[in-house]
Amino acid sequence: MRAAAVLIALTVLGTARAADLPVFDAHVHYSHDAWESLPPKDAIALLRKAGLKRALVSSSGDDGQQRLYAEAPELVLPSLRPYRSRGEISTWVRDDSVPSYLEERLKKFRYVALGEFHLYGADADLAVPRRLVQLAKQHALYLHAHSDVDAVERIFRQDPGARVLWAHSGFERPEKVREMLRKHRNLWCDLAFRSEHGAGGKVPAEWRAAFLEFPERFMVGTDTFTPERWHYIVEHAQWSRQWLADLPAEVAERIAWKNGEAVFGGMLRR
Amino acid sequence: MIARAAVLALLLGAGGAAAQPLGWSADEVRVVLRHGPWPPPMARDPSNRVSGNRDAIALGERLFFEPRLSQGGQLFCASCHVPYRAWQDGRTRARGLAEVDRNTPSVLNVRLQRWFGWDGAGDSLWAQSLRPILDAREMGASAAQVAALMREDAEYACRYRKSFGTAPATDDADVLVAVGKALAAFQETLASGRSAFDDFRDAIERGEREALERYPRAAQRGLRIFVGKGACNVCHLGPAFTNGEFHDVGVPFFIRGGVDPGRHGGIRRLQASAYNLLGRHNDDQSGAAATRTKHVALEHRNFGEFKVPGLRNVALTAPYMHNGSLATLADVVRHYSELNVERLHADGEAILKPLRLSSQESVDLVAFLESLTERKSALDERRAALPCSR
Repeated sequence: MRAAAVLIALTVLGTARAADLPVFDAHVHYSHDAWESLPPKDAIALLRKAGLKRALVSSSGDDGQQRLYAEAPELVLPSLRPYRSRGEISTWVRDDSVPSYLEERLKKFRYVALGEFHLYGADADLAVPRRLVQLAKQHALYLHAHSDVDAVERIFRQDPGARVLWAHSGFERPEKVREMLRKHRNLWCDLAFRSEHGAGGKVPAEWRAAFLEFPERFMVGTDTFTPERWHYIVEHAQWSRQWLADLPAEVAERIAWKNGEAVFGGMLRR
Repeated sequence: MIARAAVLALLLGAGGAAAQPLGWSADEVRVVLRHGPWPPPMARDPSNRVSGNRDAIALGERLFFEPRLSQGGQLFCASCHVPYRAWQDGRTRARGLAEVDRNTPSVLNVRLQRWFGWDGAGDSLWAQSLRPILDAREMGASAAQVAALMREDAEYACRYRKSFGTAPATDDADVLVAVGKALAAFQETLASGRSAFDDFRDAIERGEREALERYPRAAQRGLRIFVGKGACNVCHLGPAFTNGEFHDVGVPFFIRGGVDPGRHGGIRRLQASAYNLLGRHNDDQSGAAATRTKHVALEHRNFGEFKVPGLRNVALTAPYMHNGSLATLADVVRHYSELNVERLHADGEAILKPLRLSSQESVDLVAFLESLTERKSALDERRAALPCSR
């Protein structure tokens, strides 16, 4: 009877804690159309309303997150995309002007990562993506890769020491994600724009196994790929807290914010 | 090329080449045939016990034009679903007691839908029919107001008894739902008539060469874009030209004071509704009608998705898209031709790519869409109803 009471108390405590969890949002964009409709002050207010501890923010072009970073340096971790506009998603890999653009921005501003960029299969071995991987190594930055398994493997072949945040975990099945995490100790996974790992506030068995095997390697993210989706950040954080409450409290805390903080948190203090 | 000619010969008999001026392939013919026949057979809605009931249809028709279903008695269903405007209102956004954020869809062919409203918050036509009655911005009435009308107005009380076999219940919600079911029974009868496209499609099926040639060349060219280069039929499929589902096609969804969450909000409202098919008002004893409601899942991608509209009579229902933001069919074609891929998720609507149509192709595609307009209404003339007799 007493044991049951303790269990109930712990469960209630766990649920209450999950409801209040801070969130590290590892997948935020603040591109030109977003800053036109949502000025930096308003954008930061939304991040705070969502209870975010920090956000990894990239934008197309790069000015967006610099504006956000200037507004709230304690909240925003800038990441540099190889896109001057989002229309370059599919052309950047063959655009010779991209490396010099990146080098110029890296001279002027501080970042924690390069990305999010879209890179698939053998394109990863083209000259421009290769240079991107070199720049990440040179500047000790993470790579935020929206990539398939093949491209991730190619990145690690180019630089075995590369550190990769795998956007949307490649939209791969949890078994494949686990396989990749076992193989690459410098691989972290964001769960942005996928819903099946927490639908209805419940974590299915195959995802639970992944989270329990690699509690220190997952992060949540909203993916604000259109300006309207900034208005989803609050709801997404709430949704994340709901499914995280279905995990052991320590694992939930790690995925909610501690992993993001451990990976990126200290980088700008260097 | 030989195979193509052989298919045409099989379909059309001797002289097929002259009857198929655009040289349709077997695949194209097969795809075009899937957009008919029209009209499809009537099927009862198992969740509505008065679906197809003549007395309920008559009651529903009367209710559709009944201003006492609104707060203040100024508005009725037909205020927005205007019969002579193809059962919509021609406005950018609907206006009831106040302006709302979405365009009024036509209710012609509404019985063929799977989800109702731009966000699919209704899983039955009868539940959807209650939403504008209760919405404070639209008709702003209440269950109590509706129930009182059914109980206190002798004509309605009589028609209610004839339709449902009992006097209006004491529970206001039960009476409200019955009103929704009568309204649905009426709306199920609102089908569009046959179009030039239907004649063309049936002529292909029957191999009638002369009938084929009556279909304008521009419409034929547009149809080939629709089922070919444009792949429009991937979403606008079947006789009603819709898959009945929800997509983000790159239309901005900001509204005054925020955003319209579209399907995401629709699923939330559906799941919270006392009138969904999982509730006690569903008349389907088999449980089959509620299956899709039971399994609908909320996903991040639903945020900003809106329903794929059917295209029959589309030329009569301007303006277009969920918020009425595109004034003409030419604007809609331009939207898809110049699609802003920056608004689409890289792993979202994979089918959507800018069509890059030439000006002639755009004109042809519009010509095809215009050919979906009914030649004449399939609806009976409204006649004055005799008073209800017990």
